[in-house]
Amino acid sequence: MSEHEDDAVDALLLAAFEGPMPDEGFCDNMMQRLPARRRYVWWPLAAGLAAGAALCFLTLQSAPLMRTGLRDWLSGQLSAPALTLLLAMAGISLLTLVWTMEEADATRMKS
Amino acid sequence: MTDSAVQARVDQALVARVLLADDRRAFEQLLRRYQGMVRAQLRRLLNGDHAKADDLAQETFLLAWRKLDQFRGDARFSTWLHRIAYTCFLQARRKPSWPSDQHDHDDGQQAEPSQAMDLHLDIARAMQRLSHAEQTVLLHCVQLGMSHSETAYVLAMPLGTVKTHAAQGKAKLRALLADWQDRKEEAS
Repeated sequence: MSEHEDDAVDALLLAAFEGPMPDEGFCDNMMQRLPARRRYVWWPLAAGLAAGAALCFLTLQSAPLMRTGLRDWLSGQLSAPALTLLLAMAGISLLTLVWTMEEADATRMKS
Repeated sequence: MTDSAVQARVDQALVARVLLADDRRAFEQLLRRYQGMVRAQLRRLLNGDHAKADDLAQETFLLAWRKLDQFRGDARFSTWLHRIAYTCFLQARRKPSWPSDQHDHDDGQQAEPSQAMDLHLDIARAMQRLSHAEQTVLLHCVQLGMSHSETAYVLAMPLGTVKTHAAQGKAKLRALLADWQDRKEEAS
């Protein structure tokens, strides 16, 4: 089809299109139906993270593996306890990453 | 700066006012700017059912209000709205209560064009002889004035498929309307 013929079909289609609808009270009706916006509240997440970290520290602070591993890690020695500690941290980070990606995918699919 | 770029910046400023200041009047401005085209899109998709189209338009703007924080500005705000509207239309069409006569009109069993009909009816009849996908692509590409890539975004369709449907739809329309014009010439 040539560009001229294409334009002719476009013109016919545009002529048959009634264009934007007049308001007819639609906006006023719509504005009355709008619910209050849900505001993002950050403090429950921050409080949850802080409580989780504190609980984790209190639970593990007396464990010898944790203390030895932390001491060796800070002094630069890659001992078995330090490696265990690092592997545990890497595992938790990986799980968190996978969970976050799944949540982001689920949110995108819903939108 | 082009007119569409200015419009896009105005839209983004209004969206920011809604999100940052919870400004309902900013959303009302967005609503007034785009309700006409969104309702026109839905009326066309629903074959002129004004009541159902307005119900879906309300659903569209309620969703836009709730999900406004997900608007990233990658597409124009109007394109984003049209995408939500089309998604609402598809969801409504999937419901069991959807009337069967509102499905695709690609069965090819249409009445012969009549000389007594005006241009609008002739084109409406010609459009009904296209497949649903061709009709939808031409509605967005030509009548709503979107680019091929914007149409692909709204319809969640590959760009190449949009171009193919647009070309095929126009070719069919040209043949159908030319046939009608030939008959008119023969009769006169």
